[in-house]
Amino acid sequence: MSRWTLNIFCLLVYIFLMAPIIVVIGASLNAGAFLTFPPQGLSLRWYVTFFHNDVFLRAIGTSLWVAAIATFFSVIIGTMAALYYVHFAGKRKEWLRVALISPLLLPEILTAVALLFFLYGVGIGTKTMFGMLVGHVLMTLPFVFMNVSASLESYDTDWTMAARSLGAKPWVRFRRIVLPLIKPGLIGGTLFSFVISFDIYTISLLLKSIGTATLPIQLFDYLKTNYTPEAAAVSSVSILATLAVVIFVEKVVGLKVHKF
Amino acid sequence: MRQRTAILLLLPAAILLTVFLAVPYVTVITSAFRTPGEGTPFGEGYTLGNFGRIFSQWYYIGQALNTMLIGAITTLVTLLIALPVAFQLARPKLFLRGLAYGIVLSPLLVGIVIRSYGWTILLGNNGVINRTLRDWGLIDHPLPLMYNTLGIIIALTHVFLPFMILPIMSAVQGIDPSVPAAARSLGAKRFTVIRRVLLPLAMPGIQSGCILVFVLSLSSYVTPALIGGFRVKTTAVTVVDAMLDTFQWPFGAALALTLAVVGGGTVLIFARLTRIKWKT
Repeated sequence: MSRWTLNIFCLLVYIFLMAPIIVVIGASLNAGAFLTFPPQGLSLRWYVTFFHNDVFLRAIGTSLWVAAIATFFSVIIGTMAALYYVHFAGKRKEWLRVALISPLLLPEILTAVALLFFLYGVGIGTKTMFGMLVGHVLMTLPFVFMNVSASLESYDTDWTMAARSLGAKPWVRFRRIVLPLIKPGLIGGTLFSFVISFDIYTISLLLKSIGTATLPIQLFDYLKTNYTPEAAAVSSVSILATLAVVIFVEKVVGLKVHKF
Repeated sequence: MRQRTAILLLLPAAILLTVFLAVPYVTVITSAFRTPGEGTPFGEGYTLGNFGRIFSQWYYIGQALNTMLIGAITTLVTLLIALPVAFQLARPKLFLRGLAYGIVLSPLLVGIVIRSYGWTILLGNNGVINRTLRDWGLIDHPLPLMYNTLGIIIALTHVFLPFMILPIMSAVQGIDPSVPAAARSLGAKRFTVIRRVLLPLAMPGIQSGCILVFVLSLSSYVTPALIGGFRVKTTAVTVVDAMLDTFQWPFGAALALTLAVVGGGTVLIFARLTRIKWKT
């Protein structure tokens, strides 16, 4: 393969990757009542419809709440686990890593079914949002762990040694030395956790309580029966909001993605 | 901090993974052998009937085989597409590298429902692709791109492509450039360098990418449900049906377990064939 064929092939792949996203944004600007691309006449009417639709607004609210709470817990739990993994795990390191990213390796559908049985078995059930939140913490934990442990491994341990020799206590060392150094990994992990949680479908579907549909569930439900461009407007807002957050974080703190 | 007190750092994660992952997995295995219950998740007795029902009906066997086939083809296609892209992205001096990297990551930031929805707009009978081809006079009747296995594979390939590109890319980035240079200086042709030097060195990335995409494809629900339009069902779709629509919980558990065991077995055989070292 010459360099030119390689470049053209890659260009086609990039178009393939962007195509559905561009089509959704384009279709959301439709002036007509039906979903077409390219749009028949430009209009923001479906955005207006969406902003008056309580069902979608409530779903977005639920999604933001669930993602915020789940991310809060998985950042704390994941960072603690990463600290142990990098500095203290010793020989058991490989096993520990597999265990901590296991929610990612196990099929989500079986995890969801398993959690559902478990919650009913211990009598918690799905009356509250507890089950869904636990599911989200489980699914986002690997991303926090991978990001934080990667940045922990890349920093120079001489810094903490120096702090220690100058008499800094463990908590002071963590807060003044380790935390600033792993900030990029921590922020990357937080961001990834939030975005992943916002996107989780199967776990939310099986573990949701009544009236706590997240945005993906509401959107999917809508798509099963409706074909208006409103869904495209909802999707576009979600895409643009994510993009804004990612660009903001990238510009302000510099994002380092340690996904694998 | 001493080793003893340090274990406290691991405690929350250990509790979370034990109580809400390990224990539920044990529960689900036993639940698959329970009789169906009336108004309860499962009945009193134990039975092999749930598995008997799966393996005695061609409907479920065929569906599981089709699901495995979709997973295998998706994995193969994503691998073939991802390899050139990963090698290109790993080049440090690539023009507009940041943008290309952003494009590869972008599907991960857009929800899976939205991406699958985008594909329904593209692939439908009145979708973008069919209408364009008709306007150009290339076809008379719409090509069957949606509501079938082909459409599911196209959309899944898109959805999981980043999970193949990223691990291969990081493996390729780890290759010392002097190694392929040495091969070339010893007279190896371009193709030989790729086949004998670069691909073997990128193998860890290729393996983890393949395993990830295969597992994700098998258990994916949204894409097969939307693109298949509930006309082509994968096992994951039937599991959700059994859990939420018909409330056959033990049967749903048995079906999900069967899929996981067959899928896991396939991954192990794949790992053995490619002699993987368990470094994820």
